Amino acid sequence: MTEENKEKNFKKRFGKFYDSFYKILLLIPLIIIIFSFVYMGIFYSNNGDFIFKDFSLTGGTSITLIGKVDASLLEETLFRSLDELNTRVVYDITTGEQTSLIVQTKTNSDEAIKILESYLGYPLNDENSSVEFISATLSEDFYRQLLFAILIAFLFMAIVIFLIFRNFLPSAAVVISAFADILMTLTLVNILGIKMSSAGIVAFLMLIGYSVDTDILLTNRVLKRLDGTINEKIFSAFKTGMMMSLTSLVALAFALVVSSFFSVILAQIFTILVIGIGFDIFNTWVTNASLLKWYMTKKQK
Amino acid sequence: MVYDKETKMKFNFSFTLRIWILIVAILLSLLAIVGSPINLFQQGILVTGVEQNSTSFESGLRQGQIIIEVDGNLIKDIDDYSMALLGKFDSGENVKTIIKTKDSEIILFSNNTPEITISEIPKTNIKTGLDISGGARALIKAQDKEISSTEASELKEVINNRLNVYGIEDVKVSSISDLSGNYYVRIEIAGATPEGLKELISQQGKFEAKIGDEVVFIGGKDITSVSRSGQDALVESCSQQADNSYFCNFRFSVYLNEEAAKRHADITKELDVNYTGGGVYLSKKLDLFLDDKLVDSLFISEGLKGRVTTQISITGSSTGFTQEEANKNARDEMNKLQTILITGSLPYQLEVVSLDTISSSIGKNFVSSIIKVGLIALLSVSLLIFLRYKKIKLSLALLLTSISEIVIILGIASLIKWNLDLPSIAGILATIGTGIDQQIIIMDESKEPSSSLQQSLKRAFMIILGAYLTVTAALLPLYWAAAGFFKGFALTTIIGVTAGILITRPAFSDIIKKIKEREE
Repeated sequence: MTEENKEKNFKKRFGKFYDSFYKILLLIPLIIIIFSFVYMGIFYSNNGDFIFKDFSLTGGTSITLIGKVDASLLEETLFRSLDELNTRVVYDITTGEQTSLIVQTKTNSDEAIKILESYLGYPLNDENSSVEFISATLSEDFYRQLLFAILIAFLFMAIVIFLIFRNFLPSAAVVISAFADILMTLTLVNILGIKMSSAGIVAFLMLIGYSVDTDILLTNRVLKRLDGTINEKIFSAFKTGMMMSLTSLVALAFALVVSSFFSVILAQIFTILVIGIGFDIFNTWVTNASLLKWYMTKKQK
Repeated sequence: MVYDKETKMKFNFSFTLRIWILIVAILLSLLAIVGSPINLFQQGILVTGVEQNSTSFESGLRQGQIIIEVDGNLIKDIDDYSMALLGKFDSGENVKTIIKTKDSEIILFSNNTPEITISEIPKTNIKTGLDISGGARALIKAQDKEISSTEASELKEVINNRLNVYGIEDVKVSSISDLSGNYYVRIEIAGATPEGLKELISQQGKFEAKIGDEVVFIGGKDITSVSRSGQDALVESCSQQADNSYFCNFRFSVYLNEEAAKRHADITKELDVNYTGGGVYLSKKLDLFLDDKLVDSLFISEGLKGRVTTQISITGSSTGFTQEEANKNARDEMNKLQTILITGSLPYQLEVVSLDTISSSIGKNFVSSIIKVGLIALLSVSLLIFLRYKKIKLSLALLLTSISEIVIILGIASLIKWNLDLPSIAGILATIGTGIDQQIIIMDESKEPSSSLQQSLKRAFMIILGAYLTVTAALLPLYWAAAGFFKGFALTTIIGVTAGILITRPAFSDIIKKIKEREE
């Protein structure tokens, strides 16, 4: 059998399977969505918020100590005096040696600097350290505004989708799968216990833009292309879309590995995007594709 | 031009208008990035700031000069400069330093290192944000008070004035508002963080001199001038204390207006004269209050009783671990007090809601690390594309298009003098990601056998337009949210995707078309 025949044969068998099971496939995202809602509900009632926040969203201080300051020793000694103490080691990406230590705490900067200075035994200046401070009121304000920005962004995105396709159900399918991407990513981020920074929230915003690309591709191919069966259209879109997601995933995964050595902010952005695009693959080709097939099959009848 | 050569040599086809547009865009961007090519070969270091009223300033050192020689030593980089001055001022005596700049020679007599900030000569017009290049940035707002936009710009002026009088160079003060209608003043200072910055910008600076309960003079309002150098403003005596730390006194003169001088006379007239062991003073002291906190109490000598005097000496002190540090702290403290006395107080209490002081040594490796991340990501993607399409030309075209997109973003950023901060760089990475996705759509649509190439590419464009609109719509709110902290992310992404849809994507689809035509 030639390569082409093999592929045709596979398509045929897979098409048969898909025709009989696509509605049942929808149960998987449905279950995950319900689970996510329940989890987030419990999470919200326990924590009074949708995420675990780091200092940039609760207010507090982040101090980068240049040099090889020992992380665990510092944490052991100071966890009582510095509120919600957290440390991260930063490495040089070529030598792999520690270049600095990031100390994050809810304590305000003046106090935190004093405590660290007496622990280290030398004064902190702008040659041996960086200090970032944000007040509780400002960070709460930022948090509210960023959530608002996400809401508006989602709304704008939905409007654009409806304007492009001018067809309610297929557009709704895109919006639903974009929503599922965000909900599932948020849930997994919380399950992993990631403390989110303001940059992390921005990553969610990015995800809104990123995740609908493949959905637009799929919907466009299925709705606007005249020749071929629904399955053929979905399959051709799948080939292109998977390539898109895979390249993004590979690039992001490399970026994540490298940046985790030297930038907490970039590493968090990339982590959230990797998770998000992972879910997007699932939601585009299961949630959105099945909903779209359902709609098209109904319409053809 | 790599691109140019590549296409001509390998494919030997005529360029379409769209490809020409891309080439012109790349050339213009490169021009915007590099600026004057002379900079590439200029040796020396750049003076980025000179402290006002300092010996260096008075001797003629100015911001923007390029230092090429110090005491006959050739200066190629910052290390050379530090080496040339190493140990020179340890004695504390005035020594001569000859600084040769690109177009002048400056001779300094001083007992400390030149009061200037320096940097390497920038090779490109690309500017990095404070979170990468180092510096300080602060966001301040009125405490317990909503201020209007006019009040915010007034506040901006006062702060700007204060920083200038204090002698901080290379500072940008702006008033900004956010999505909830709050007004802030943002201060950005490149280079080293000035000592006591937080107090300087947050202090309301209400300065009152009282004798008993009566106010003699108020900072700003009653002051005609303040001595800033010479014998009328100096750190005069330092001594070691019991706990081994050091203690330095400073003293400077202020000049009062007639009204305040008369007040001084009226109040002191009523006071008794006390004979203490140390000298003869009036019965009450002159108490100095800064923001309602007592900072110093000065004895008033007998001779001033009932006199209309316009000159008053203000004294104070600071401590430090070493004598050098105590001396420096006293000087800083004096400078701060002088600044507040000249500029007067702010109409309300301020709150520093965010303050970042970023060490320049952290960002040093950052840019090269970022470039490595970008290159690794791009190469891995190109490899993946090659594995999938098995065509080296396609992979190369994709890689070059992505690189050209980065060049265009950097070019526009240089042109509008945008400081590339961390969020901006994340935005560039995001743009490249979406760009590659869209190029894959173009390649796949063009492969479709059933419809004509023209139709396929048109369809690809509809998909890309949709993706473009959603990304732009999603990022627009970010431009205003969170006091502009993530503005850079929105900006670079929107520049990138817009350049993509207008320039690189059309050119890429033409390149694909040409490659296809050649194959047939």
